[in-house]
Amino acid sequence: MALHTPPMPAGELVTEGPGRAPGARTGRLRNLRPTTWVGLAFALPLLAYLLIFYLYPLVENVSMSLHRFTRASFVTGEAPFVGFDIFGEVISSPQFWPTVRQTAIFVIVSLTFQYVIGLALAVFFRRVFPLSAVLRGLFLVPWLLPIIVSGTTWQWMMDADSGILNQFLGIFGVDPVWWLNAENSLMSVTIANIWLGIPFNLVILYSGLQNISGDLYEAASLDGAGPWRQFWSITFPLLKPVTAITLLLGFVYTLKVVDIIWIMTMGTGTSQTLATWAYSMAFGKGSSGVIRYSEASVVGTILLVIALAMGFIYLAVQRRQEADR
Amino acid sequence: MGGGRQAVQCELDDEKGKAMTKQNLRVAGIGLAMVTGLALTACSGGSTPNPGETGAASEGTTTAEITFWDPYPQHQSGSDWDNVVKACAPEGSTITRSSAPQTDLFNQLTTAVKEGNAPDVVLLDNPMMPEAALSSLLATAEQAGIDTTGIDENLLGPGIVDGVTYGVPMGSNALGLYYNADILEAAGVDPASITSWDALNSAIEQVVATGSKGITFSGIAGEEGVFQFQPWFWGAGADLSALDSPEAISAGQLVSDWIGNGYAPKSALTDNQSASWDLFLTGEYGFAENGSWFAAAAAANEGFEVGMVPIPGKDSGLAPVPTGGEFAVAPLQSKDASDHYANASAVIGCLIGGENAMQTSETLGYLSAKPDVRAEQVAANDQWTPWAPIVEGAQGRTTELGADYPAVSAQLSEALQGALNAAGDAAGVEDAFRTAAGS
Repeated sequence: MALHTPPMPAGELVTEGPGRAPGARTGRLRNLRPTTWVGLAFALPLLAYLLIFYLYPLVENVSMSLHRFTRASFVTGEAPFVGFDIFGEVISSPQFWPTVRQTAIFVIVSLTFQYVIGLALAVFFRRVFPLSAVLRGLFLVPWLLPIIVSGTTWQWMMDADSGILNQFLGIFGVDPVWWLNAENSLMSVTIANIWLGIPFNLVILYSGLQNISGDLYEAASLDGAGPWRQFWSITFPLLKPVTAITLLLGFVYTLKVVDIIWIMTMGTGTSQTLATWAYSMAFGKGSSGVIRYSEASVVGTILLVIALAMGFIYLAVQRRQEADR
Repeated sequence: MGGGRQAVQCELDDEKGKAMTKQNLRVAGIGLAMVTGLALTACSGGSTPNPGETGAASEGTTTAEITFWDPYPQHQSGSDWDNVVKACAPEGSTITRSSAPQTDLFNQLTTAVKEGNAPDVVLLDNPMMPEAALSSLLATAEQAGIDTTGIDENLLGPGIVDGVTYGVPMGSNALGLYYNADILEAAGVDPASITSWDALNSAIEQVVATGSKGITFSGIAGEEGVFQFQPWFWGAGADLSALDSPEAISAGQLVSDWIGNGYAPKSALTDNQSASWDLFLTGEYGFAENGSWFAAAAAANEGFEVGMVPIPGKDSGLAPVPTGGEFAVAPLQSKDASDHYANASAVIGCLIGGENAMQTSETLGYLSAKPDVRAEQVAANDQWTPWAPIVEGAQGRTTELGADYPAVSAQLSEALQGALNAAGDAAGVEDAFRTAAGS
């Protein structure tokens, strides 16, 4: 039955949509028909919405990182323009490079495990077996739980003295681990974040798999290709476009994660990432007792630039894949 | 706001557009984009006028709508506290009360004053007072017609910034050392003997020797953990102006050893005061450092008997605990300031003045900041008897450093986290305090 599943339209959208957009339209702008103009006019409210609610805050964020804002100057509006001074201060602060390193570890390790486990599960669920739909649904639970619930649960499970994780390890004679101390907290929040991100990877990769024609596998098995060979020669190459969008979205989501880290450790010790650092400075919470609007904006701007760079890398990859076809 | 109007304008232009020719449409489109851009630039460049520093309660009259902000989301609409506040509305007025956690409330207040729509009354956590006053968020007590006579000096301290008084304390809470009387009896510990750190440590040792656990406290990052650490910090004779003094390090060593020896749970690193109280309520721990706001719960506790002794200083005597509790303040207003201040004067006067003072304190679970009212509370309710001297010996967190306090507190939080992570290792504790002091 699985062999004859027709491609799902949703999968089509994921693989083809973003790749087709650039390039195709250039050169046609001048010859637009009146109906197209009307279409554009209908899009104007959306454009205005984007400008006001997306572009404006972003511009404000960058502007704030170039002016020295304190709580007092925020009220009076008298924030002197200081150019890139605050960027210099943030980058030269002793916390900056360790935080960048921790952010990189958090993002890369999270993404790698989320993707590999998500893909393995997606391939596993490609075979239809009794209760497979129910099981697949159960894997979505981390996604559906409010993060305050899952974060608190992880914190309990990782309790150094009476947490279930240490009790479990104790069965095998492993010494209790102090999961949430300064040294181990990065590992702990990464584990929790991997668990959180698996459903997202599973769902997107699974829908990508639906898009691969069953005939290919049939042909491959006639040629004597085993499951391993089928995976590396059919599944993985044909999943590349879906992989690219999964990793890009996953990267951006992981980069800006605050909630799970904040609930578990408040960004203390090694679990401080650029996003939690910005949050603590912007609101004067956690380890930053003082509100630091400008410094938080600087970190926010840096995050923005990283995310943008990833976006461009994604577009470049897409374009190359288009060219390869 | 400008944004909303802009969106409407866009849609209007949209309608007009349909009647135009193709060519004109393109020009209109570009023009519109530019106008939108300009409007946005205008918005971002605009500055709000300074809130006027004029106006006085005596020159205003109370208005029909009074807004009241407090940091007590746990007291919902219809709760006792909600009723106490709403009963203080002057003749012909209604009070709208809203709540948010401390830090959020302060941040919301900052935005509200900037936008010129600040509430009439705010209850602000006392260590935030100097920063709020110096950021031009608050009217002076004199302007707002807030009476501060008869308030204890140590409790009013955080509200005085550069010699000017900005509000009045709603009452005070304090920290004490709760104990599980059943466990202490079984271990043969006399709570009255705990008058120094050595006595406390040997009491904890005895408790642990009988199979119970030692002590719970909150070492969470941020002000809450610092608040819990200050009695040990000040009790050692340390001073907030020198975080790397030997006295400061010895206080860090004390709590660090509790973790290292397994006397205190490792989760102290992330426990807030409610979480550490919950741990104590399991009945497994001998001691708990926690606040007077749990005094009623302690007296009513069923599983075991709970007692309380003041936190001891290092060698002897009472450790000074930080004053806890909120100040009632009137935010600075740019429009109809006198009327807003008249509202503030009426509501705050009603809450803490005369007959109502005791009711307000009891509803919030605070000890009054006025000695005579406090004496009444103690006379009426036994649970307050051990707390009164602690409140009287308490020390304002910001009294010494003023608006510099939050930054120093953040450093102390860093030192405390480092010390707890060191789990007793003396070099690690010392390093944590030196690093924090240098940052």
